[in-house]
Order: sequence, then structure tokens, then C-alpha cells
Amino acid sequence: MYKDLDPILHSQLRLAVVSLLMAVREAEFTFIREKTQSTAGNLSVQISKLKEAGYIEVEKKFKDNYPQTICRITPEGIAAFERYVADIQAYLKGDITP
Amino acid sequence: MSNTQPAFTASDGMKVIESMIAQAKNRFSENGFLYLLWGWTVFICSLGQFVLERAGYQQHYYVWGLTWLAVIIQFVYLARQQKVLRVKTYTDDVIKYVWIVFVVLMAWVGFLLGHILEPAQLVYVNVFILVLYGMPTVLSGVLLRFKPLVIGGVICWLLVLISLFIPVVYYPLLITVAVAAAWIVPGYLLRARYKKSHAN
Repeated sequence: MYKDLDPILHSQLRLAVVSLLMAVREAEFTFIREKTQSTAGNLSVQISKLKEAGYIEVEKKFKDNYPQTICRITPEGIAAFERYVADIQAYLKGDITP
Repeated sequence: MSNTQPAFTASDGMKVIESMIAQAKNRFSENGFLYLLWGWTVFICSLGQFVLERAGYQQHYYVWGLTWLAVIIQFVYLARQQKVLRVKTYTDDVIKYVWIVFVVLMAWVGFLLGHILEPAQLVYVNVFILVLYGMPTVLSGVLLRFKPLVIGGVICWLLVLISLFIPVVYYPLLITVAVAAAWIVPGYLLRARYKKSHAN
């Protein structure tokens, strides 16, 4: 019944970021920081890890001379998220009926 | 939110997912501005046309020139919104395209009827406009899960039915009633809901 949970997603902040991006088409760094109530430094590190894993894509551009970071989930990220949800559901079900 | 908690369990994972999806869902981006802008513009134009026509003014349709002002205001508003927008949702995208399709349909119907109908029959264009008004209004209401818009759209279609039983001189007033029900009232309700959702 038990499956190893994806270590990239099985982390509170990274999972929060991916869950948020699952629900929107794209979001700015400041929006994600506000919704996840995280610090800019920690969020930046976790976003880099998600990007390295290929789960999200990050676009950096300028808007009115201010840098802007836009994040989007990738098809790999969607697949990983769906797998993770199925795994924790199976795991939780196993907890109830071992 | 910390990333270094010692024991992050599967059950914690589920809670994070639920909380983040709820955060995204609770975000309500529609502030009703464009509904109010176009609602009041069309309200004033349709009522103005009716009053001017009854007063015997030949160029009563000139009042619709006011819509160009609304177009300019809309462009300025959308450009400003683009600057402050921090998140884009699929729902926002679909609603945008529903309204673009509506504008294209309005342009085509207006153009074709302008060609087909005799000048004296142009008043019937109002009925076709009512049919079209219902479509984006109902769809936006469904997508935003906002009943007043759905009701407003249905009222537009009911007014089409009413048009069969009233003299054609009152047709411009059907547009006045339609935009009040479909855009102005829902516009104020949307604004109230937006302020409430952003007050937290």
C-alpha cells in the first residue's frame, strides 16, 4: 500500500507553491509569497528546486522598470502533483486500514 | 511557512494542498468596474435615444457616440489593471474570450442587419442585441459562480419575449431595462463582493 512520496513535493513550502500553481494559470512571486506566508529568501530557494526538477517554469521580466518573476506549473509538475496526491491518498487510506 | 519542519506527514501534505487550493479559489478578481462602465453607458444612451426620439429630434442615435468614451476608459482601465495584476487564472481567460466573441458577434449582427433592414426597421436591431446580451452575461455568471449575472442574462432573454407584445417605439427602453438588470445591478453586487473578499 505504501509508496515513497516524491521528495521534491513532500516539503511544506514546495507543496504549497505547486498546489497554488495548480489552481491558477500563472502567478507572480509576490503573490505566491503572500499566499504561502513565506520569506522571500526561502521561497526563492524552493522555487529554484522546483524549477530544477522541471515542475515549474520561471519567467523573469521587467514591468515598469521593476523586476518581475512569474511562475507557471509545467506538464511534468502537473503529473508529479497528481501522482503525489494519489500516493498520499493511498498512504492515508493505509493508515486507516493497515 | 517553514520548509524545515522535522516531521511533515502525508496528512500535513493533504492539509497544505487543501489550504492552497482554497486560497486560490477564494481570490475574487472581478471588481465589477467594466459591468458598471458599460451598464451605465448603454443605460444613458438607450434612455437618451428614446427621450430624444420622442422629442422629435431626428438624429437621436447620435447619443450612442458616448460609447467611444467608454471604449477609451476601458482601454485605460485594462492597461492599468495589467500593471497591477499578479496572478492569472484560467477562468479570467475564458471570461475574456467570451466577451471578445460577444463583441465580434455584435459587430457582425449590427453590420448585417444594417445592410438587410430598411431604415424604418432598424428599431428591430434592439431585439437582436437583447438576444446577444444574454449570452456573455449568463456565461460570466456561471464561470464566476455569481447568480445575479445569470439572472440578468435570463432577464435579457425574457425581454425578447416581451418585445413581441409592446409597440416598437419602446424597444430602446428594453435595452435600458436589460442593462440595468444584467450589468448595473450585478456590477454593484460584484463590487461589494470584491471589496468584501479583499478586506480580509
